[in-house]
Amino acid sequence: MGEGAVLGRGVPGMRPRLLLLGKDARAPLLTSLAYLIGAEAAFLVGTLSDTIFAPFWPPNVVLFCALLLAPAHRWWIYLLAAAPAHILAELQVAMPAAEIAVAFATNCLVAVLNAVLVRRVLKAPPWLGTLKRASLYVLLTAFVGPAISALGGAFVPILGGGAIASYPSFWAQWYLSNALGFLTLGPIVLIWIGADRTPLSPLSMPRLAEASMLGIALVIVCALAFQFGAGMIDSGFMPAILYSPLPLILACAIRFGERGASGAVLVVTIVLLWLALNHASMFITPSPERNVLALQIFLVGLSIPVLLLGAAIDEVRRAEQATRESEQGMQLAAASANIGLWYFDQASGRFWATGHCRSLLGIAPHTPLTPALIQQVAHPEDRQAAVETMRSATDAGQEVVNEFRVVLPEGGLRWLRARARAHREEGQALRVTGVFMDITAAKQAELEADLQRREVAHLMRVSVMGELSGAIAHELNQPLTAILSNAQASRLMLAGKPPHLSTIGDAIDDIVHESKRAGDVIGRLHGLLKKGDRKLELVDLNELIRSTIGLLHSELVGRRFRADLDLAEKLPPIAGDAVQLQQVLLNLVMNAMDAMAATPPARRSITVSTRLRGKDGVETVVADHGQGLAPAEQARAFEPFFTTKPHGLGLGLAICSTIVGLHGGQLALANNPGGGARATLTLQGRRNPVIVT
Amino acid sequence: MSEPEFTVFVVDDDPAVCRGLSRLLGAAAYRAQTFASPRDFLAQHDPSIPGCAVIDLVMPDGGGLELQRELALSGADRPIIFLSGKGDIPTSVRAMRAGAVDFLTKPVGGDALLAAVRRAQAADARARESRGAVAAVAANLAKLTPREREVLNHVVAGRLNKQIAGDLGTVEKTIKVHRGRMMRKLGMRTVQDLVRLAERAGIRP
Repeated sequence: MGEGAVLGRGVPGMRPRLLLLGKDARAPLLTSLAYLIGAEAAFLVGTLSDTIFAPFWPPNVVLFCALLLAPAHRWWIYLLAAAPAHILAELQVAMPAAEIAVAFATNCLVAVLNAVLVRRVLKAPPWLGTLKRASLYVLLTAFVGPAISALGGAFVPILGGGAIASYPSFWAQWYLSNALGFLTLGPIVLIWIGADRTPLSPLSMPRLAEASMLGIALVIVCALAFQFGAGMIDSGFMPAILYSPLPLILACAIRFGERGASGAVLVVTIVLLWLALNHASMFITPSPERNVLALQIFLVGLSIPVLLLGAAIDEVRRAEQATRESEQGMQLAAASANIGLWYFDQASGRFWATGHCRSLLGIAPHTPLTPALIQQVAHPEDRQAAVETMRSATDAGQEVVNEFRVVLPEGGLRWLRARARAHREEGQALRVTGVFMDITAAKQAELEADLQRREVAHLMRVSVMGELSGAIAHELNQPLTAILSNAQASRLMLAGKPPHLSTIGDAIDDIVHESKRAGDVIGRLHGLLKKGDRKLELVDLNELIRSTIGLLHSELVGRRFRADLDLAEKLPPIAGDAVQLQQVLLNLVMNAMDAMAATPPARRSITVSTRLRGKDGVETVVADHGQGLAPAEQARAFEPFFTTKPHGLGLGLAICSTIVGLHGGQLALANNPGGGARATLTLQGRRNPVIVT
Repeated sequence: MSEPEFTVFVVDDDPAVCRGLSRLLGAAAYRAQTFASPRDFLAQHDPSIPGCAVIDLVMPDGGGLELQRELALSGADRPIIFLSGKGDIPTSVRAMRAGAVDFLTKPVGGDALLAAVRRAQAADARARESRGAVAAVAANLAKLTPREREVLNHVVAGRLNKQIAGDLGTVEKTIKVHRGRMMRKLGMRTVQDLVRLAERAGIRP
């Protein structure tokens, strides 16, 4: 059927249509032909006598296989097609008409019954394939179906003149003859010809040669064993000789699975039956009926475990292949996702990793992997962390994630994210499985974004400094004025006669003090203007607020603002970057000033207060007495480029919010109940330090 | 009673700046007095003391410009030198228009400051001198009789004796007598001197 379809697709024109038209009739005709050949084969193998059935009767199996492969609504065509073949075959052995009819009816019954049972229970092909399915197949087709059908089949010899008392014997003969067919020929047809092809690879030439040699060896061993065995019935060696083909049968099952098993069973069956029926065999007893019965029982007993073994082997092999395929698929998927897979067996110290994993680590394909080697390729700064991670993975037994850098042999660094989990057995960490993910690109992007953020933050600081330049100049000019005037006064006084030494001393004291003061101002400015890396330090927020207000002193005075500080004592220090936090404070205070531009000077005061919030939280509030925030402003205040100032960039609060976020804190804007707005900055104290990279 | 010494009043909220400037001025033989805020300065201000003010432009409680305005409102004519942290042109223009002597940028050099103080001293002296002269003229004018005053007005207006007599309904001779007494009382010899004096006294023909 499949062949017709293939041809039909391949050849255009009239031919395919003719083939397709013929297709409906072709399968039943083939079935009919196979039925006839099966019957002829049975006759060829031989019958011991006319009083018993053919000990091996393939036509029923042929019919069963055809029904199983055909749709149920077309079964009648197959049954109809088999009838002429049956009549033709039985007429050759001169069977009377009634007998022919009953025999055909029971033949059809067993084929239909088995087909229905197999379809009902096993639903769809492959009909064998696994141990469970093969067991069910054996149970249904070799036991249930023939046992029921044999109830009718036993009447065939009675109709032919057999004694009614021999009914149980006829039943048993009929049953065994059919069971043997379904056990030997059925699986072969279903596996080799039918839709039951296993997904195992087709046989290659060496495998084909191996199979042929096994088959030939099996024929020879069987023939010899039974030939010799027949002469040794009385000797003690008979059982040994009887079992001599077994290694070859097992070899077939093991090497070729179900196909090998069913093939071997068929070969043994045919050889044995042929020998038993045509030559001397060890089953030769005075009663040919008993001989056949013994042989059938022997063959049924042999074929069932061999078939099941073959199915089990196939199942294991398929499972292995599926595992291998899924493993390969996983490795491929992992490699395309730039992920390296690995596992570490603690007991044996064995490290296994995919090829991609090795290339991620920059380790050559055949270098033996050890934990020490992986430590060695890690960046020296990250080694300790990597070791710790591995340890905590094996200790904690839960998923551990870590990021580290690998120094590549060709130079350069690669960022990897490791994810590992230990699998335990009885509390002992036995195996750690994990993945390495290449996150270099993400890290690079992160670093670039970070650099840009820092750049923008720095530019904003510079722009704030620009805005404050007048005030800052004043802040710096105050000490410089004092220094200059004191120095010049000293010089004048030194020229005096006599020089007024104590006043000169006072002047020099002032010069020293004011120089320090000027240095402090410059230090503060330098911190805000320099572009250095962020550093993580413990920051006293109160001190930072005082310094910020100091920096803004002249601006506040010049714009006629008063700054009131209300700072809580004994606050926990904040882990963070002082420059960035000061930038936030500067921005908040300057925003407060801008918000009060229209406020009468008498009310222009800014209150900066700090409070302990919760266990270690530090809350800083910058409150003004301006007009407060409009709802739209409040909602969009942290948006980049949103500004209410005529010349504002709209980046100040956006950057502040980013900085605070990086410090693990929150920045919120709200209106004061008593008028004006308040910015609330909440940061965590040092007991929960944040790593700002 | 001797004339009070010329004093430089330094107003700056920064005590170190006050001390430094005061030492510098002291070393240059000026008397200096410092104030931490404009309010302190205004509260203690005595316009009769000759001197000048050195004022910081940026201070709490109002800056230097505000102080300048308040001084002007109180009628005190005190020369002011402003000190500023930044060379802010609009502010300096405003300050100079309002009569500031100088506008110096911090940190101020001693020479520049002392030069400015010298200029302020000269300005203060001139102002005081002119104020003294006007006072003397006023005192002399007060000695004139109403008739002599009337004659003075006419003379300054450039009228002849005969015309004045006509205007006042008297004879030329009487006018001559009044004119002679008036010139004597005012210590003037020529009409040109008289006109100059009248100008100084604010008498407009």
